Amino acid sequence: MLGALWLLPVIFAFWSAFHPAEFSTHFELFAPLTIDNFVRAWSHAPFPRYLFNTFILVTLILAAQFILCTLAAYGFARFDFFGKNIVFALVLLQLMIMPEVLLVENYRTISQLGLLDTITAIGLPYMASAFGIFLLRQSFKTIPKELVEAAQVEGVSAVGILWKVYVPLARSTYIAYGLVSVSYHWNNFLWPLVITSSVNSRPLTVGLAIFGAPESGVDWSIITAATVMTMAPLLVAFILFQRQFVQSFMHSGIK
Amino acid sequence: MSTIILKDVCKSWGTALALININFECRNGELLVLLGPSGCGKSTTLRLIAGLETPTSGIVEIGGRDVSNLPPVKRNISMVFQNYALFPHLNVAENIIFGLKARKVPKKEQKKRLENAAELLGLSDFLKRKPAQLSGGQRQRVALGRSIVAQVSVCLMDEPLSNLDAKLRQEMRQEIRSLQQRLKMTMIYVTHDQVEAMTIADRIILIKDGVIEQHGTPEDLYNLPATAFTGSFIGNPPMNILTPDAPVMAVCSSLLSAKEAATPYFVGIRPENIKISGDSGIKVSVEATEYLGADTLIVCRSAEQKITLTVKGKADVSAGDHLRLNWKPEHIHLFDAGNGKRMKGSARGITP
Repeated sequence: MLGALWLLPVIFAFWSAFHPAEFSTHFELFAPLTIDNFVRAWSHAPFPRYLFNTFILVTLILAAQFILCTLAAYGFARFDFFGKNIVFALVLLQLMIMPEVLLVENYRTISQLGLLDTITAIGLPYMASAFGIFLLRQSFKTIPKELVEAAQVEGVSAVGILWKVYVPLARSTYIAYGLVSVSYHWNNFLWPLVITSSVNSRPLTVGLAIFGAPESGVDWSIITAATVMTMAPLLVAFILFQRQFVQSFMHSGIK
Repeated sequence: MSTIILKDVCKSWGTALALININFECRNGELLVLLGPSGCGKSTTLRLIAGLETPTSGIVEIGGRDVSNLPPVKRNISMVFQNYALFPHLNVAENIIFGLKARKVPKKEQKKRLENAAELLGLSDFLKRKPAQLSGGQRQRVALGRSIVAQVSVCLMDEPLSNLDAKLRQEMRQEIRSLQQRLKMTMIYVTHDQVEAMTIADRIILIKDGVIEQHGTPEDLYNLPATAFTGSFIGNPPMNILTPDAPVMAVCSSLLSAKEAATPYFVGIRPENIKISGDSGIKVSVEATEYLGADTLIVCRSAEQKITLTVKGKADVSAGDHLRLNWKPEHIHLFDAGNGKRMKGSARGITP
């Protein structure tokens, strides 16, 4: 029931995208199909560039998150150092702050760094993700100490242990986290809207919003066609890897 | 040479003393068992030798070299863990050569050693499987394989058989023993199972509360227990440790010298050395019997004390029966009531 409700706008988007404009608000089963809307949307706005920006953005964030969170989580999970619990509490504190609260402050920082209107600027505030650190630390902590000791006896270094023992054993957590991260940043809107001002850095979501803004006149067919294009890559990926995703969530959750 | 020597080793966590003045030597090619109840410090001792812990004080020597502060890899040891410590994402072959890869042994040599070990352990058909697809015994063999391919002469084992069922445990026990002798390994083996210790060991060290109770051959520990604890830990069923109350004294007093009777003591007597006699001896009532096939266990009570004895075959007694028990003077072990130590000057207890 809830699923059906959630699916309605998606169905509408598909309906409207594949039919001529006059059918976008009334339903007729055998309305003529067309891909004309896509062609028009594609040529009206620089969607290839937006798509490319989003792709670079998501990849960049994910890579940075994996590296930073892995190293931080390893530190928290395996080593004892002075003030460890306080530092970890600070990391958790980050989880409780809505990113929107920091919008202005982040803008100022980025501006000082001279990174305004770049893809790096969109990703930077999210790279040291508290959620990622927390999730990976939890999953590292479930790895039996014996395995680490076995590697130690064999003479594997601390970095080697991270790479050969911790990371492969936390694979399902990485997949689950990567999934959450990719879909979040693919769809993220407010921060990219604030920080970007040109075609060169704008991700799909912002591009789409500008495209669909009332000033430029509302043509539902084209807007929905653009929307479908925006979500299509993610949707296809989800459908293709659905089983692995569900499995990895189950693995990383209960163990 | 790979003699292992511990000199005055102590280990404490905060104020809690885990090990107190541990001294022993494990000779080259010997299988030494560290035995004791759980929490006695036997695993800690092994981890100190492995280098996974550092001693609070004292020295650990391997092959004449002080290794107390060296990391595990520099100690030239291999170790088998209680839960096998197999990497679930690697297959059997990769698990076995994991350490060789880490030490950058040439590929060709890796392959040769892997083949040898796999053949020795009967794992040749399973090399491509993941640990999750193996039975408990096979996983155990993979863990052994990893320590064999390292080709170091010292092997440390931390309760390696405790996750296996009884029958498999017995088989693996024999396998480990024959492997150790064939490859002439110096092995230190931790267990809480006294049967395992007795059957596999060249020598046994019995530890209790961080202190060595006794160090000797299995025969020593059985026949000449140094403390009342050793007596009650080794042997199945364990030795009866009796307080010399009136009924016990009635049997014992004539067997003891005046000097021995002067200090407070406990009387130790093994269940198999107690005989049922017709007319003389201590009067007891039978509380329970357990028929074990080859022999029967009879639990009796005399006043406040429980006495356990075993008789061959099926015993013709049942709960509630009254019996008279007797034993020979040479089967009596005397322990000081104060510190539990075997009383000196008492040549008794040397059973044939």
